[in-house]
Amino acid sequence: MLLEATGIVKTFGSFHAVDGADLALQENELIGLIGPNGAGKSTFFNCLAGDTLPTAGTIRFRGADITTTPPHDRARLGLARTFQVPIVFEGMTVRENVMVGAFLRRPHRHAAADKADEVLAFTGLADHADQQVTSLGTPGRKRLEIARALATEPTVLLLDEALAGLPTAEVDLAIELVRRIHATGVTLIVVEHIMEVIHRLTQRVIVFHQGRVLAQGSPAEVTADPAVIQAYLGRHAGRRRA
Amino acid sequence: MKALPRTLLLVLLAVLIVAPCLSDNPFYQRIAALTALAAISASAWNLIGGYGGQVSFGHSVYFGTGAYAALLAFDKLGLPPIAGAPLGMLASLVLSMLIGLPSFRLRGHYFSMATIAIAALAEGLVTNWNFAGGAIGLMGPASPRTVADLLFRSALPYYVLFVFVLAVLLALTYLMQRGRMGFYLRALGSGERAAESLGVPIRRYKLYALLLSGAFTSLAGSLYAVMIGFIDPDSGFGILVSVNMVVMSALGGAGTLFGPMLGALILVPLAETTNVVLGGGGTGAAYVAYGIIIMLLARFSPGGLAQWWAPLTGKGPRRAA
Repeated sequence: MLLEATGIVKTFGSFHAVDGADLALQENELIGLIGPNGAGKSTFFNCLAGDTLPTAGTIRFRGADITTTPPHDRARLGLARTFQVPIVFEGMTVRENVMVGAFLRRPHRHAAADKADEVLAFTGLADHADQQVTSLGTPGRKRLEIARALATEPTVLLLDEALAGLPTAEVDLAIELVRRIHATGVTLIVVEHIMEVIHRLTQRVIVFHQGRVLAQGSPAEVTADPAVIQAYLGRHAGRRRA
Repeated sequence: MKALPRTLLLVLLAVLIVAPCLSDNPFYQRIAALTALAAISASAWNLIGGYGGQVSFGHSVYFGTGAYAALLAFDKLGLPPIAGAPLGMLASLVLSMLIGLPSFRLRGHYFSMATIAIAALAEGLVTNWNFAGGAIGLMGPASPRTVADLLFRSALPYYVLFVFVLAVLLALTYLMQRGRMGFYLRALGSGERAAESLGVPIRRYKLYALLLSGAFTSLAGSLYAVMIGFIDPDSGFGILVSVNMVVMSALGGAGTLFGPMLGALILVPLAETTNVVLGGGGTGAAYVAYGIIIMLLARFSPGGLAQWWAPLTGKGPRRAA
């Protein structure tokens, strides 16, 4: 097992944002993590990324316990992530932003720059390499976040709504990019709430609801699951469809 | 196109550096020396405050430590004041650790406020530390015993020394800026969470930057004490000592190589000239000007003057405080 989370609980006061969630990820899988707003998928995601310490439960990466490992050490182990709202490094060019990621495995400036250029070409940002990062719009910034994470040469890439808020044409490009990343052997977890994207992208979907895993299986299976329909559309709709 | 303004800037810089050596006016020579000195401390502050984006208002702690180390070495041990400089740097390294480890848990304004508190505490302690002269302060040697006392009638030898130290500091900064540490500092200064997710151990790098910054600020303090031959709690640990570094960096462009130097180049002559023109009653005038400059910067050019000269050199500035 590449990445394994068991019994993850995260409480904020008396509120259980994540309430006993499990996840098991095989090498080179591409899975989707979906759920209605407030289902706890972002909190669960942040536990995996190391941004949030779970109240209970363990996270293992290649068998080693990383539950309390800080994010920068997870990056070194091979766990990379993007953010829902892109955080770009202002005052730097697009290439320099990506170099920050590349420096993780390549301490020398020229090697890091070469790696950055390679990733920029792969992600279709090569034309923007020398621009100030602030010149990029939202689609460009989301792409840059992926590029930066790829520059750390991850084994597992966690994408937090990397496709949300993109114009339709960009969504197609982004899906194509995620597929190409997967084809290079990277294992991916994609958090998304656009069902269509998940349908086109993944073989396995995990549905979150009220802090727990409600269902998992192929996209077709879970969307036919009455419990899932109920969670998304309300009890009434669920009963009628079922 | 890009190369021309850059050469022009370098020529301008060379003229600026050499000019004071050609002048025999002691007033200008003194301003030149004080400008170079301010450029050292502002450039040292810039390492953590500019590149790292951790806006410290407490760098007077390191400056004062350096200044007191120099004059304590003379007063207590009979050594030439400059011999206290390495001791001051050593003490500042320890202080940087003690201050950095807890305060880097705080972010943004909270960090800045913590540094103000620490500096105020240090000033209070030194004022009540009779061994170090208490509120009265310490004096340097009245007349040179050996050349090592670095006591010169003209300001020119100090100027040459300060420019040399500044050159070393800027060379180090340049190397840092190009390498991994420079990238990591700029990244964590603009987005800690994102930097961390890319493998940047943020607290360790902040500490590295503070150690380097504290050591050079301390050296600037020692050099100040060597030249002026007097230090008291206010001129060593006062809040204005810290504010000077911040304002100079912000004016010239925090997080750029030459920004703090440019700021010093504008503000020190301004302060010295207004002091002379307005006389004893007008010594505060420079600080009125500082206030106006801060407001104008915040309103029109948060990236400092570097925001305007960036198109000339092709380098982007970082936003300051």
